[in-house]
Amino acid sequence: MPMALGSEPITTSDTSPGRGSESIKGRSLGQIAWSRLRRDKAAVGGGVVVILLILVAIFAPLIVALLGHPPEEFHQELLDRTRGGIPTGTFGGMSRDFLFGLEPVSGRDLFSRVVYGARVSLLIAFLATLLSVVIGTVLGVIAGYFGGWVDSVIGRLIDLVLAFPLLLFAIVLVGVIPQSAFGLTGNGLRIAILVFIIGFFNWGYIARIIRGQALSLREREFIDAARSLGARGPYIIFREMLPNLAAPILVYSTLLIPTNILFEAGLSFLGVGIQPPTPSWGQTLATAVRFYNLPHYIFWPGMAIFITVLAFNLFGDGLRDALDPKTK
Amino acid sequence: MVVVSMITFAIFFLVPRLAGQTPELMAARYVGPRARSDQYHEVAERLGFFDPIHVQYWHWLKAIFVGMEFNYGNGVEHCPAPCFGYSYLRSTPVWPDLLERVPVTASLAIGAAVIWVLFGVSTGVISALRRGSIFDRVSMGTALAGVSLPIFFTGLMTLVIFSYGHPFRITAPGSSYTPFTENPAEWAYDLILPWITLAFLFAAAYARLTRAGMLETMHEDFIRTARAKGLAERAVVLKHGLRAALTPIVTIFGLDLGLLLGGAVLTESTFSLPGLGKYAVDAVMRQDFPQVMGVTMFATFFIVVANLVVDILYAVVDPRVRVG
Amino acid sequence: MRKKTVSTVATATVLAMAMSACSSTPNNGGTNAPTPEFNAAVGKIYYESDYKGGTLKFAISEDWDSVDPGDTYYGLSWNLVRLYARSLVMYRPAPGPAGLELVPDLAESLGEVSDDGLTWTYRLREGVKFEDGTPITSKDVKYAVMRAIDTTGTLQNGVGIQGGYLQAILDLPDGDYGPYAAPGQDVSAITTPDDRTIVFHLKQPFSGFDYIAMLPLTAPVPESADDGVNYKTHVVSSGPYKFESYNAGVGFTLVRNENWDPATDPNRKALPDRYEIRLGVAADDIDNQIASGDLDVDLAGTGVQSAMLAQVLDENNPLHARADNPGSARQWYTSIIGRTAPLDNVHCRRAILYAYDRTGYQTAYGGPLAGGDISTQALVPPIPGYQKFDLYPAGPDNTGDLDKARQELAECGHPNGFDITIAYRSDRPKEQAVAESLQQSLARVGINLTLLGHPTSGYFSSFTDEFIREHNIGLATNGWAADWNDGYGFLGAIVDSRLIGPGSSNLGVNDPSIDALIDQALLEPDLDKRTAIWSEIDRKVMEGAFIVPGVWSKAVTLRSKNAANVFVHEAFGQYDYMAMSVAPPA
Repeated sequence: MPMALGSEPITTSDTSPGRGSESIKGRSLGQIAWSRLRRDKAAVGGGVVVILLILVAIFAPLIVALLGHPPEEFHQELLDRTRGGIPTGTFGGMSRDFLFGLEPVSGRDLFSRVVYGARVSLLIAFLATLLSVVIGTVLGVIAGYFGGWVDSVIGRLIDLVLAFPLLLFAIVLVGVIPQSAFGLTGNGLRIAILVFIIGFFNWGYIARIIRGQALSLREREFIDAARSLGARGPYIIFREMLPNLAAPILVYSTLLIPTNILFEAGLSFLGVGIQPPTPSWGQTLATAVRFYNLPHYIFWPGMAIFITVLAFNLFGDGLRDALDPKTK
Repeated sequence: MVVVSMITFAIFFLVPRLAGQTPELMAARYVGPRARSDQYHEVAERLGFFDPIHVQYWHWLKAIFVGMEFNYGNGVEHCPAPCFGYSYLRSTPVWPDLLERVPVTASLAIGAAVIWVLFGVSTGVISALRRGSIFDRVSMGTALAGVSLPIFFTGLMTLVIFSYGHPFRITAPGSSYTPFTENPAEWAYDLILPWITLAFLFAAAYARLTRAGMLETMHEDFIRTARAKGLAERAVVLKHGLRAALTPIVTIFGLDLGLLLGGAVLTESTFSLPGLGKYAVDAVMRQDFPQVMGVTMFATFFIVVANLVVDILYAVVDPRVRVG
Repeated sequence: MRKKTVSTVATATVLAMAMSACSSTPNNGGTNAPTPEFNAAVGKIYYESDYKGGTLKFAISEDWDSVDPGDTYYGLSWNLVRLYARSLVMYRPAPGPAGLELVPDLAESLGEVSDDGLTWTYRLREGVKFEDGTPITSKDVKYAVMRAIDTTGTLQNGVGIQGGYLQAILDLPDGDYGPYAAPGQDVSAITTPDDRTIVFHLKQPFSGFDYIAMLPLTAPVPESADDGVNYKTHVVSSGPYKFESYNAGVGFTLVRNENWDPATDPNRKALPDRYEIRLGVAADDIDNQIASGDLDVDLAGTGVQSAMLAQVLDENNPLHARADNPGSARQWYTSIIGRTAPLDNVHCRRAILYAYDRTGYQTAYGGPLAGGDISTQALVPPIPGYQKFDLYPAGPDNTGDLDKARQELAECGHPNGFDITIAYRSDRPKEQAVAESLQQSLARVGINLTLLGHPTSGYFSSFTDEFIREHNIGLATNGWAADWNDGYGFLGAIVDSRLIGPGSSNLGVNDPSIDALIDQALLEPDLDKRTAIWSEIDRKVMEGAFIVPGVWSKAVTLRSKNAANVFVHEAFGQYDYMAMSVAPPA
């Protein structure tokens, strides 16, 4: 279950808040973190792959023009039509022309579909993460800064969101939304809904972490100083607290992205994600299930998800270690 | 729980309405594909779709406690308490369906939980104690890969390798759930692949958590104190270190188990196990809203209970929380 | 009697165990088991045997509408229902075209029609009983029919639904009728002069009434046991088997009905002791279990899944010899919705018919063997009146005539094409593949399709005018199987423009002259003339370019390893579930 992955940040949040430490003299926290990150080979590898993936998503049309065929173009002439339309070549028709082979029945270029799938996957994951981070940060900071009843109300809300059977609610929500609503139709609507659902129910972890950090920041001298100089709430929150919260926000957004990628893939796999013929990894896998005798068809989209998620996890782990003052 | 019930209700009734569905169109979904359009209005009226929203909510909530009667075509259909809805598409109350599917999901979740706790926690502890060793590196690498693999992909792979391919076929997947009471051996045999698949993901996550927790606690002052007192290393690790490191894991374990008991959606779908999660997906596909609502409420119930249990367990495991 | 029963059951258990033990060994060729070969059960019986006993195991990946004979509209269900329900008339359980012949079942003979053609009389066999031993009377048959056509629409799935054949044919009163809508009311459209006689009164002569008497809704239902939709949980058997258990959504088992008397039933051999039916088994798993011998039949009867298909169609694979390739009276096609501009212009519709890729359509359904033969018209070969013609030749390789398509587009006033939406059932991968294939092939002449997936449930009832307008739906994937094998049984529900509306399977055929021909055919007493009218209707549908023909459906099915008396029944296009039995132990 993807939601289990989200459970990781909980512990970190339970143990890390309230332990902020001073930066070593002469070098800023950022510099230290950077030098640490550079030494972490796994994190650097993850980072490079992440950047490559983003480039692949952005330049998908170019890559496909150079190395493949349009993702929706049929090549049924390369299929064995008498045997249910499976690719005639060996290994699913993998060749220099079709790097990952062909999709059965349609004969579409699997390479192009996987490359284009990166777009949907990353777009939804990024937007949803952004939404979660915004909601989580705002609520977390408010709870942490004001404390008291505001804190306990928001705390309850966080508990509620964390307790939601997220995947269940997501399939249900996507299921009950009609084909067109809110002035949107087709995949535009789908993407908006997916981003909204994934983002809106996933802000609990971030909010909890930020709240903890904000609570401890509130007690610190420089906030007291600002307050005694007459600074008001918004100024303190935006100018004094947020810059100090940048590190945990960065770390946990990076770690939320892979969760969201898995989530989107899961929804598409269940048939409530992006609609065909727009390529999406989860949906391709769902179709590939019926052709389990063609390993290439399952392998490539599966590997695409795996590598993407792994890269984000490696990078996020490295970032956390680098930014966490405790790991000396 | 009340809030959750309201949200559930809102999703089903308000969202489609806001998105432009008329009561007639909702009714059309309920009366089946072959009814005539002139019947829709009547059915919608009979089902109370024209009532104000709060009345509809009240009816629905009341049904859970005292049951409900549905005026539906031939006379009246009874849906005794606890009525978690009545499927118009299937002409059956939802509650018996849910009861029927709980054992499947529970078998899957609990069986997998035993495996993942055993493997996950022990791997995490050993990795933490032998930090930097080959064991640590290999197991943490595997764990990272484990949490990065979509479960439906690992599930498919196990199916392709162990089941669909005849030479290695070790189990008949798909709906071949045998109740434990009927034949324990077959029960386990049918569930082995889903267990392993589900447990692999969670074991990976728990190994990472345990390792991180152990590393942190082993540097705590009380551990140093315990060592200084001259306690054997074994006792230090097991009695003090592990206990402190386990506290957050208990929390997460409770929540995870609660979530899974409410339906392991992806695992059940991949292996076509007739559990609550599969039920929910099927109901969504059929657009059988009462079924979906019922199963969602039911799943939420498990999570609320899990939260309660966790709070209680917390007091037991963590000495600091102990009252008095 | 009782003692004998017990011993039979005991033997059966032993045999069943022996069978399952057998199935794990690679070679379980029986003493006189024939050598399996491709298509061995099409047009002939594979492995004739009189061996009595054993268990047949059926499975299906989803659930169907209902096991209630009055509340079901699936071919597989009509095939299966004969195990526990006897209608007045039935198809002869025989391979090949003989199976399309009607023979009396609960009735002594086929219907006797009056001179004016307005009344049809059936006389029940003597000694027929329900599973509890009460004799079956003509009132039970009348009750069964009336509950199925009840105006409340309580039974929403069956052939008896409002606007169906029976309402068109029977001389029913205006207003409410049926045991739920009007309890106690006596309807003169069906009369029961005595306990063994039932008379149907028609509005106008209808020569094919025996087909109506064949529908499962004429199987008797005791009024005392009926509770509307819930009757499906405790169906009272009139056939050789009765329900031992019924578990909604999970499965059920059928066991021998001791009150069924073989002397009253010349059509059923009732050889197996027991049937186990499991629902919701993964489709791929069903294939694998049939291949390994753990299961006998995929109830859906629509053929093996893609993965198994590739193995089965490989002639070097041992499974090849266990495969059959039956066709059925079914067509997968796409409706053209003329209400949507510019498809109100026949030339724009014809442009689609010239431009689409027929082989692509066929491949989407699995190719020539698994999908079926490319169709060029509305009727399919098993229906009398079918005469092959092709009004829109698609070039030598059958992938479309783009020049002709562009000509038609120009005539229609859209030389550069147009944009429309195609609706398809999102939970049917083959229909999705069709939509994607049409999108590709029509784009070649500038007809751009937007895909709109909709769940199967509620698919037809969603086609309201607003829905069509809002989404600009011009095409909708569709499929139709004959209710019975004549022109009316196949085309009646899909080409009559008076039926168009939400819920109807006719999404687009809209031509008053076709409606007039349908009425003419119904009144025509002469079979040959009637058949000729249906041929004419077929041609008119294509001239008007109201449908995009797809494939005349065929299926690649896997024969059970453990079964005898296996043959494809042509009326269903599936194995005859009633005649199949367990092969004698080796």
